[in-house]
Amino acid sequence: MPDTLNIFGTYRLRCMVAWQQGLTLFFSLLVEALPFLLLGVLFSSLLLLWVDPERLLQVLPRHPLAGAVAGAVLGCLLPVCECGNVPVARRLLTQGMPASVAVGFLLGAPTINPIVIWSTWVAFRDQPLMVWGRVLLTLAVAVVVGWVFSVQRDLRPFLQPAVAQAMAVPALQQPQREPALVGVQTGTFWAVAGGKTVPLSASGWQASRLLSRRGRWQLVWVNVLTELRELGGVLILGTAVAAAIQVLTPREVILGLGQGPVTSVVAMLVLGTVVSICSTVDAFFALSFAGSFTTGALLAFLVFGPMVDLKGVSLLLTVFRPRAVLYLFLLAASLTFVLTLAMNLYL
Amino acid sequence: MNGWDLLAIGAWGVLLLKYWLTGQLAVLVHPNYFPLTIGAGLALVGVTGWQGWQRWRERGRPRLVPEGNALLPRSWSRFLLLSTAVVGLVVTPRPFNSQVALDSGELWSMTRTMPQRFRPVQRPEQRSLVDWVRLLNIYPEPDAYQGQRARVEGFVVHPPHSPAHRFFIARFVVTCCAADAYPVGLPVDTPGETAQRYPADTWVRVEGRMTSGEVQGKRRLILQAERITPIPPPANPYLY
Repeated sequence: MPDTLNIFGTYRLRCMVAWQQGLTLFFSLLVEALPFLLLGVLFSSLLLLWVDPERLLQVLPRHPLAGAVAGAVLGCLLPVCECGNVPVARRLLTQGMPASVAVGFLLGAPTINPIVIWSTWVAFRDQPLMVWGRVLLTLAVAVVVGWVFSVQRDLRPFLQPAVAQAMAVPALQQPQREPALVGVQTGTFWAVAGGKTVPLSASGWQASRLLSRRGRWQLVWVNVLTELRELGGVLILGTAVAAAIQVLTPREVILGLGQGPVTSVVAMLVLGTVVSICSTVDAFFALSFAGSFTTGALLAFLVFGPMVDLKGVSLLLTVFRPRAVLYLFLLAASLTFVLTLAMNLYL
Repeated sequence: MNGWDLLAIGAWGVLLLKYWLTGQLAVLVHPNYFPLTIGAGLALVGVTGWQGWQRWRERGRPRLVPEGNALLPRSWSRFLLLSTAVVGLVVTPRPFNSQVALDSGELWSMTRTMPQRFRPVQRPEQRSLVDWVRLLNIYPEPDAYQGQRARVEGFVVHPPHSPAHRFFIARFVVTCCAADAYPVGLPVDTPGETAQRYPADTWVRVEGRMTSGEVQGKRRLILQAERITPIPPPANPYLY
């Protein structure tokens, strides 16, 4: 009997320890990540009003490879995380952005931007390799996948019908009849001050340009709070998963998975897909695995996580057809896998 | 965006400020990032307070609703933010204890590379626990430190199957936040008394001389205690 009591007592003690450890982990990750989320959200809200992506399109290179590189580093000018960049990419595609730029931007921009690089550096202050590795590998994967997609000259078969229709028809195929009707728009319009009209479909940048100064700022703050609520909710879920895995999984299992060069990368790719934390703060998630997983595996998480994850897929499906999303997913996953595995084996 | 959203986001701002004002922030993140956290707390409280006042003043007016791509149903996000903030406001975060240090298995291995901020401290008795471990990382031969005086502070860990007169004195080292905390420790011999006199997790200051000996089948540096004084747990439990 005393033995049973003893075992029960030890079990309860271990549960208490695990619970407290889990809470400390959970709140420390959130407290460290929230300021970065706030910064990211502030940036993306300000950009909503003050950056004109249409003007960017005119200076972007048309060459497939150069375009993919330009798309990937576009994030430095439009620092938005993956949740923010799908709507941007969708908008740019309908404005006639080349496929290589769009795909490079979709995959590269969430990672290659100042806020994400800063937060990664904060998390891995004593491992500069993580910061450089993250930027360079992301660049490599984004450029290669963007290049591959540029083989498809006309992207429309890959796109959702709604987006494809909104795209400008290539000049050669444009029917030359009824010239008088060119420029007469049809659809539903907002009537705004000064007798101007704005199509209902044009939201965001265009509509906001017609607002007063005060109205614009109000839009910024409301947008900041809305994005904070949405991304904050996802961040909390992701952090809870990270803390629970740390506390509940037996140490031997984590080490067994995390120390194998292949298994660790695969485990982190899966985790990166399932856990959909914002790229601004996912470095802190990876940090909680830093002691037990190989460097290559952590990089696989940091590179692949922002490109494709469960949350991102639902967003990507608003732009691409399922088949194209699958191609993107497979290409990016296998490239990340090969590159990070090579790091584990040869570095 | 309704009143509950503002409340949920504002509550997180209040939570960040609470951690700062009660000193509990030290248990969660590295002091380098205090300004970021405090700034974020002030900003969250400020923006939600101001927006709340604005809404109250302009009741009944139509509002701007930005297009959103709902990742989670709105009520979920609101609930998650609000409930976690309430839990955070009620519960005091505890620093990791000796059980966590033992489970991590890193007290013995010392395989971490700890390149940052290594400065050799001339007088051995001024070295902190992490200074000693960094030194051992660079020059691991225990005999090199034979007879040096030491004075370190930390909490008591009792590893299973250790001799009756030996415990470990340990601290957690933090680079960014509690999520990357890892333990460092030294074995302490207490001649003439049993180590169990000092229960696990009590904070002690150990003064004594360095010797070498067998620990878990390996020759290692051991601190031969001459005086062990219990001390109150420090406000900032980590070393950096």
